[in-house]
Amino acid sequence: MRIAITGGKGGTGKSTVATALAVELAKKHKILLIDADVDCPNDHIILSAKLKKEKDIFQVQPVWDFKKCIKCGKCSEVCRANAILFIKEKYPIFVPDLCNGCTACTLVCPSKAISKGKQKIGSIFHAKKFNIDLYTGEMRIGYEEASPVVNALKKHIKSMEKKYDYVLIDTAAGTHCNVISALSGCDMAIAVTEPTPLGAHDLDLILKLAEVLKVPSKVVLNRADIGKKELIEKISKKYKTKIIAEIPYRKQIIEQYSKGKPIKDENITKVIREIE
Amino acid sequence: MKTITILSGKGGVGKSSISASLAVLLAKKNKIIAVDCDVDAPNLALVLGLKKYEKKETIQTSEKAKLIPSKCIGCKKCMDTCIFGAITWDKKKNKPIFDKYLCEGCGACELVCPANAIKLDKVKNAVIGFGKTKYKFPIFSGQLKMGESGSGKVVTAVKAKAENLAKTKKFDYILSDSSPGIGCPVIASIQGSDFIVAITEPNPATLNDLKRVLQVVEHFRVPYGIIINRWDINKEFSEKIVQFARKNNMPLLGKIPYDKAFVDALVNLTPIVTVNKKYEQLFSKILDNILKYL
Repeated sequence: MRIAITGGKGGTGKSTVATALAVELAKKHKILLIDADVDCPNDHIILSAKLKKEKDIFQVQPVWDFKKCIKCGKCSEVCRANAILFIKEKYPIFVPDLCNGCTACTLVCPSKAISKGKQKIGSIFHAKKFNIDLYTGEMRIGYEEASPVVNALKKHIKSMEKKYDYVLIDTAAGTHCNVISALSGCDMAIAVTEPTPLGAHDLDLILKLAEVLKVPSKVVLNRADIGKKELIEKISKKYKTKIIAEIPYRKQIIEQYSKGKPIKDENITKVIREIE
Repeated sequence: MKTITILSGKGGVGKSSISASLAVLLAKKNKIIAVDCDVDAPNLALVLGLKKYEKKETIQTSEKAKLIPSKCIGCKKCMDTCIFGAITWDKKKNKPIFDKYLCEGCGACELVCPANAIKLDKVKNAVIGFGKTKYKFPIFSGQLKMGESGSGKVVTAVKAKAENLAKTKKFDYILSDSSPGIGCPVIASIQGSDFIVAITEPNPATLNDLKRVLQVVEHFRVPYGIIINRWDINKEFSEKIVQFARKNNMPLLGKIPYDKAFVDALVNLTPIVTVNKKYEQLFSKILDNILKYL
């Protein structure tokens, strides 16, 4: 079973819930935890796990042979990522950080001056802790596109998924391409939110996205006692789902988190009851 | 006109709440525009108590591949070329199927198709809202449509709208609130900024994310300063951040304590500086520290 832990809004407790779930589930099951927040992965910090690099992720990148280049500017014209700058009668200037590797430039070049090289866009790391296999994707600093890194991470773990009872995917905040990549193909999405107007607003967006992607969703309410719970109940109802657990705001939880430790809370067992 | 951008790397550390309070104070003596660059999940207008946008405009910054079935010769070149895995093959019809969520609109399939059977269609992928807050300054917000891509380009479009207005009507400041992360929408938020306010919290995960996003900021050579939010939740760790900032010559703009008053202000959709004198003073000091660099 593949479960995504998501939420829309940032800082609602996605990683906190994902790691706590993984720790609890790993007592009885084989657990694969995927940190797909490749912009800012944090699960290893909460688990105090030491990451070992498994491999780098590469992407196709154009390489120009200026001996063959006729300075026509067509490569720049077709590049929708704006990664190729062209000034008349000059050789094109390439901005690797903007390139998404689509190869349109190599296809259009009339003098075959562009060949396919590669650039590093991120890395995949592994760690074992509390009987959990953690795989973390990390995007290279300065690179723009998170979703190819997420896709490479998902591809990397695909062959090993069968060995596990549960695959937990911790997504980034937001609703754009990197979250779509992480959510698609999951059997369930757990949306972690908080009882504030912002939490409710962003929950609305992420539940809508899950609906569009046909992933059934459940809601976990974090810091449940500081705000307005009705806001979240209303949105959950709108998407015909429900709040399956409420985690209270407790100083002890915050302290555990600020020390970089997975939290322990009886409400995590309620979440497990829903997925087991 | 100067642009101040608020970011953090990690989500939920208080970007929108702090942006709203800084905006309200900045607007007391200056002509400002607020911009919400978190186009995935825009919240700044909400925090500023804006109930309805005056104007909403749909924009097109993304494209998607579309098949003209009558022209397709079934050569599969499009599928072999697509590196995003957005094209699969319909064996029955011997024609490609395009996945609109995976399609990046790069146009490689259109170029490789020998029969001109693929066209790129412009997609209405975002809405830009414009409104006037009750604190007498305008706000622009971008909102990406569900399942659409191109958040970086949407951020650039929203910022361009604000910059146009700022130039023609001679505004003093644009204050923009960025999304979490370090990827395309954040990079688009950083570009063209005059000063970055980076928010962090005293825990290892948030500090880690701060360091990652600051590397991006340094890449674009934009000056920045740091605010430690909820600093008293772990005073020891906050001291570590202070030392880290000092060692790396990063200006510390201020420290904000944890107080339930912030949650109450947020639930009531009022920036804390409008209801709490103590925090009005604290944020005024932070704002003065920011303005020293502009």
